[in-house]
Amino acid sequence: MTRFSPSLIIRHFILMIGAAVVLAPFVVMLSYSLKSPAEIERGTGGLFGAQEMMVDPKCALRNAPRRGDIETARTRFPDRDDSTIQTLLTEEANAACEVRPVVFNYRSAFQDAPLLRYLLNGVIVTASIFLLQVLIALPAAYALSKLKFWGREAVFGLVLFCLLIPVHAIALPLYLGLAKIGLTNTYAALVVPWIVSAFGIFLMRQFFMTVPDDLVDAARMDGMTEFAIVWRVMLPTAVPALLAFAIFSVVAHWNDYFWPRIVVTGDRSLFTPPLGLREFQAGADGNLYGPMMATATVIVIPLIVAFMLAQRRFIEGITLSGMK
Amino acid sequence: MATVTLRGIRKNFKETEVLRGIDLAIADGEFVSLVGPSGCGKSTLLRIIAGLESASGGSIEIGGAPVDRLRAADRNLSMVFQSYALYPHLTVAENIAVPLRMRQLNTAQRLPLIGRAVPGARERGREIDARVLEAAKTLEIDQLLDRKPGQLSGGQRQRVALGRALVRAPAAFLLDEPLSNLDAKLRVHTRTEIAELHRRLAATFIYVTHDQVEAMTMSSRIAVMMSGEILQCDAPTRIYEDPNDLRVAEFIGSPRINVLPAESDSSGRISVLGKGLPLALHEGRQTLQLALRPEALSLTHHTPLLQGRVVHAENLGHEVFVQISLDGAEQRVVLRTDPAMQAQLHLGAKVGLTFDPNRALIFDAKGQRQRNLLRALQEIPA
Repeated sequence: MTRFSPSLIIRHFILMIGAAVVLAPFVVMLSYSLKSPAEIERGTGGLFGAQEMMVDPKCALRNAPRRGDIETARTRFPDRDDSTIQTLLTEEANAACEVRPVVFNYRSAFQDAPLLRYLLNGVIVTASIFLLQVLIALPAAYALSKLKFWGREAVFGLVLFCLLIPVHAIALPLYLGLAKIGLTNTYAALVVPWIVSAFGIFLMRQFFMTVPDDLVDAARMDGMTEFAIVWRVMLPTAVPALLAFAIFSVVAHWNDYFWPRIVVTGDRSLFTPPLGLREFQAGADGNLYGPMMATATVIVIPLIVAFMLAQRRFIEGITLSGMK
Repeated sequence: MATVTLRGIRKNFKETEVLRGIDLAIADGEFVSLVGPSGCGKSTLLRIIAGLESASGGSIEIGGAPVDRLRAADRNLSMVFQSYALYPHLTVAENIAVPLRMRQLNTAQRLPLIGRAVPGARERGREIDARVLEAAKTLEIDQLLDRKPGQLSGGQRQRVALGRALVRAPAAFLLDEPLSNLDAKLRVHTRTEIAELHRRLAATFIYVTHDQVEAMTMSSRIAVMMSGEILQCDAPTRIYEDPNDLRVAEFIGSPRINVLPAESDSSGRISVLGKGLPLALHEGRQTLQLALRPEALSLTHHTPLLQGRVVHAENLGHEVFVQISLDGAEQRVVLRTDPAMQAQLHLGAKVGLTFDPNRALIFDAKGQRQRNLLRALQEIPA
């Protein structure tokens, strides 16, 4: 039987407060994505909203009765004056535009903004960044950890130095450079600045330091070239570390709003998911929080699903335990 | 199979001189052990032969051809590492197949998935599988081919490492303390197996160890190394019975050889602890060291050469090692004797010791062996 000592209860209580603080925004996001605008405005409807039928304002606007409609409807409604006919027609139109709030929010997210396109862009960009980062970081980390050459420590020092440079500090020169060679508003602009990851090189180098030298020597005796050693010996042993790096890289670039906002100026077909949130920014009709939160939910879901699927290995990777 | 010839191999790590001019000629099919205390440079020497480390000076020939400029992969050598160094992500069969795959398949054929479709890959693949199975059967690990190294015991991993080395026919096998991670029982067993493997393959083996028992039991020749030099390279019996250097005599043999202070007078006659021996040197008065293997000493009641008291006895069942503290000297000597004698060897018992002067090894003050002895000099007055 488990005993609940007071200290245990206090500890869990504190942890639960922490968890509540972290989770609250997500709960709000999820809850808003289910509610109607009226419920959001008035703060009613509880967590899931009442899910009462609401009128899709855009649909209603589209179907609103016009002059001609009233003329043709006269035959249907004899003995009524024009204003009554208009009211009746509006009611009909509104009835046709009734939807559940949850459907409204998520349909808007996918219809008003090409969210699928944004998601695809997100996948293309984050996957390319990660693959190219690995392609560069692994051989670099191998050289820094297992090869002896003049100036190795100095080079490693430079890698550490690069870790200290904040992205925003070099954003402007990077942008100017990309603009000069005409790469703004391309996938390249979204990918190329990130393919040399000092953090990736550092992380992999630290991991490779723990790989026994004998393994590398054995591979050399077995007839492997240095590149073969990187891809055939070091890569498979480094999977946990690579996963850890994958989390940092994919999460950072999937969620990045700053850089895509700078280099993708006009072309909506290049928008990454976070840029998609701008579609519902304050316009003439105020903020559409419901569809906006639905978009946000759709954006975070891939990361959460990926985390669920590989949770154990992710944690292994981050703590870098379980390897020798 | 090939000869391995080392000429004047030197190695410096920054200021430290690790190897100071190693010359060694290893014949085809020979089993040579490099033995010495840790830090003597034996592993470095092996890595230089393998091509994993570059020498600061000197040259290496394998099969008569210089290999100094060749990469490790091109020297056609196999190596077994102390840590086994198996690829953790590959199965036993894949581990053993690696040297063959890297040498017999081209880059396209080695590609994952597509590789099999490349012309010639299938036949080569079957050949490799057959060779792997053969090697595994030789080492009795054919049951384990589908396992990963993580699922194997130390002894099994060691066999896989051996299998990976012998799956192809290299010019020579290099073994770097392959038994030191095994438990004592398994070590003795594997020792025999490696020696038998060497006989069967008739291949050149270069074996690094700090364990003199391994060196004594397996080698055709032992090279005793100390502080970056080979002190003596000879057959095990010669190394044991006829060492050139006191350090060799002390390193080989367990328990350690007994060393007693001795001296020669102006006529060259040698005495130990004041007792004159029927041995003499040509040179005049000098300080000497007299070394005696524990089995060269024997108990006696008449005219003992040495006297002392028993301070400790170790009974191993088939023999007893008795530590005796000598009268008139600070150190103890160790005597090897029969367990039957133990009754008279209780702690504190006074014993007399004697030895055959011909079995005494005489070294000068610097530890160099003095061989030009005049023996059986009855005419020298006692």
